[in-house]
Amino acid sequence: MTHRDRVAEALEAGWRFGALYATEGGVVRTLLVSPAGETRLETAPVESGALPSIVDLVPAAGWDEREAHDLYGVGFDDHEPLRPLVDHDLDLARWTVPIRGRDAYQVAVGPIHAGVIESGHFRFHVVGDKILHVDARLFYKHRGLEKAAEGSKLEAGIAFARRACGACSVANSAAYALACESALGLRVVPDLARARTILLELERVWSHLNDIAAACSGTGLAAGNNRFAELTERVRRLNATLTGHRFLFGTVQVGGSDAAFDDTAVRAARAELAHLREAAASGWRELTFNSSFQDRLPDIGIVAADDVHRLGTVGPAARAAGVAEDVRTHAYDDFEAVTPTRAVGAVPARVEQRALELWQSLEILERLLDRPVVPAAADRGGVEGEIGVGRLESPRGATSCIVERVGDRVARMHLRTGSYANWPSVVHAATDDLFPDFPLINKSFELCYACVDR
Amino acid sequence: MSRAEVASGVVQLVGGLVLAPLLPGLVQHWKARLQGRRGPTPLQPYRELRRLWGKSSVSVEGTTAVYRLAPAIVVASLIAAVALVPVAARAPGFGVGHDILALIGLLALARFAIAAASFDVANGFSLMGASRDLTLSVFVDATLVLAVAVAALVSGTTDLRGIVGATAGTHPWSSPALGLAAIAFALVVVAETGRQPIDSPDTHLELTMIHEGPLLEYAGRDLAYLHWASAMRHWLVLVLAAQVLVPHATSVWLQLGLLPVALTVLCGALALVETVNAKMRVLLVPRLLAVGSVVALLGIAARLVGMA
Repeated sequence: MTHRDRVAEALEAGWRFGALYATEGGVVRTLLVSPAGETRLETAPVESGALPSIVDLVPAAGWDEREAHDLYGVGFDDHEPLRPLVDHDLDLARWTVPIRGRDAYQVAVGPIHAGVIESGHFRFHVVGDKILHVDARLFYKHRGLEKAAEGSKLEAGIAFARRACGACSVANSAAYALACESALGLRVVPDLARARTILLELERVWSHLNDIAAACSGTGLAAGNNRFAELTERVRRLNATLTGHRFLFGTVQVGGSDAAFDDTAVRAARAELAHLREAAASGWRELTFNSSFQDRLPDIGIVAADDVHRLGTVGPAARAAGVAEDVRTHAYDDFEAVTPTRAVGAVPARVEQRALELWQSLEILERLLDRPVVPAAADRGGVEGEIGVGRLESPRGATSCIVERVGDRVARMHLRTGSYANWPSVVHAATDDLFPDFPLINKSFELCYACVDR
Repeated sequence: MSRAEVASGVVQLVGGLVLAPLLPGLVQHWKARLQGRRGPTPLQPYRELRRLWGKSSVSVEGTTAVYRLAPAIVVASLIAAVALVPVAARAPGFGVGHDILALIGLLALARFAIAAASFDVANGFSLMGASRDLTLSVFVDATLVLAVAVAALVSGTTDLRGIVGATAGTHPWSSPALGLAAIAFALVVVAETGRQPIDSPDTHLELTMIHEGPLLEYAGRDLAYLHWASAMRHWLVLVLAAQVLVPHATSVWLQLGLLPVALTVLCGALALVETVNAKMRVLLVPRLLAVGSVVALLGIAARLVGMA
């Protein structure tokens, strides 16, 4: 059975596409995820420089195949046209989708934007104010972190995952740690899981508060933006008090956790989070009853449930379309994914989804911060392997990290973040909407560029 | 020339040409306060103008005189408009008369110059801003003409001195006509000053720009002229609002004395409206302005019924 057939069979059986990457060793691996959250890698040797594309079976693999082509020179038969993604080809016709017709024209936005935004170039094909298509070009600050991690010790390699993105440092480093632990046959003990869950949820809390602020700024509601930005800052300060770093850098290690929050720290954190919940709830109530804000949101930027399955949308964006998939369902005790009341996958649903998940995360934190957090180490005794997979729910959706090792060194590390999975959905969401609505649609996803340009 | 006329003329020129940047400055200042920020001082627009004045202009390759002359045309029309709009019922003529229809023409001329420059420079964002501005201007101008028509009907003249005089005191407010016109004119103020919910004056998002879009290619003194013109536009619509469409004093001296108070209050109102409102979806703006036109039409109807 060929690689393509095995992927097709797994998809048929309800498995989901998780990631696809190439290695120096001349193989392409596809990560598949079962409905119960199990992961499996399908490996295919690259013969005479190419292998059959799977993009027709699973369009979500589109960016992965383009990246593997640009960085590892792997061809994908029948992926036509295989447009460059990481490789910034100067020829416009090579990387953009041709749009022809009366009065259609292109507007180039970025890569340098007005405001504190990372580098990304968007080429809008529009008629009047209506968007026909968007070509997004990211990877302006591609740092080759995956390549740089190769050859470093497994414990030290976490620095590369952590530095992929400031906003998702815990998610990325925890995914890396899980991957290493699974390769090393280490088992995560409850104390370790608890420490990491607290860090992950703290990250989610500030991230979601920030996303609500961003939605306000996308509508020009500066007062709402400032209010939620202030709350975001309060969580970052809480992070600093607890761990010494506002963005929780360096808090996750491979094979253990040295996070130690004593009784006073835990109690203070709980009190601060309770205040935050009250403030956030009152801010959210005001947004709910601000008719100009609510009138601005509906019916734009739609990524419906069908699109979610096709494009491989993950995280809040997928749940806002009513697809209640969350890696935490398999990882946490008593966790149920939430979806908004009108889960139509439009901008208001994604904004509401952040609020719903915020309450959920605050509840989880309240439950977990009931006693001091102590350093913990993973148990030996699992099955050792050459390759390990770590998968968890980042604030922007499922993030997978795959670590291949030779002894105690990294042979290949691949990080596929929620942002990476969702960028094609942003492009899809903007299609057919109005050009001036794009900032708001984009902010309703609020994806990282750095998580992609790793 | 009477002393009142001299005083009025001085207020008109000093206010409209020199003090006008204070108006957007005040709105910015209060808006920041209302949004929980410290914000710049009301003098910030002057600093911006000084900074821009010290910089050289950029001439864009491939553009023609249309692009280069636009800032001059805009500023010239706005200066003429400032000379045209009196701040009280008595004012000296500066050779441009006081006819309100001429004011509408001057504002349209400025808009045309900037839109033509956008087509000349052919920057995507400029064109988009200009096309949105021209689309909206159909509705803004209609609302403006109708609101002004109410005031003209109430006063029986299109001479602004006469209108300011005739709408003074409490008597004109006994009929709903002027009140309805004021509602319509409020929308014109928001649109002409480029403020939320219609446009976002502080936006740095090129995609949503209306008034800022066409200015993107301008720099240095050209941009300073255009910012100054925008401040004068604030002055014009707010003076009209204060001296025609809100209750004001009958005595010329009181009209002059209370003008700063009225302008300050109106700036505060603009800041408040900007703070509590999100920016509107761009295609809904014509609908909002159409509502303004209908309200102004009701004002005209109320006036005609009242006369019959």
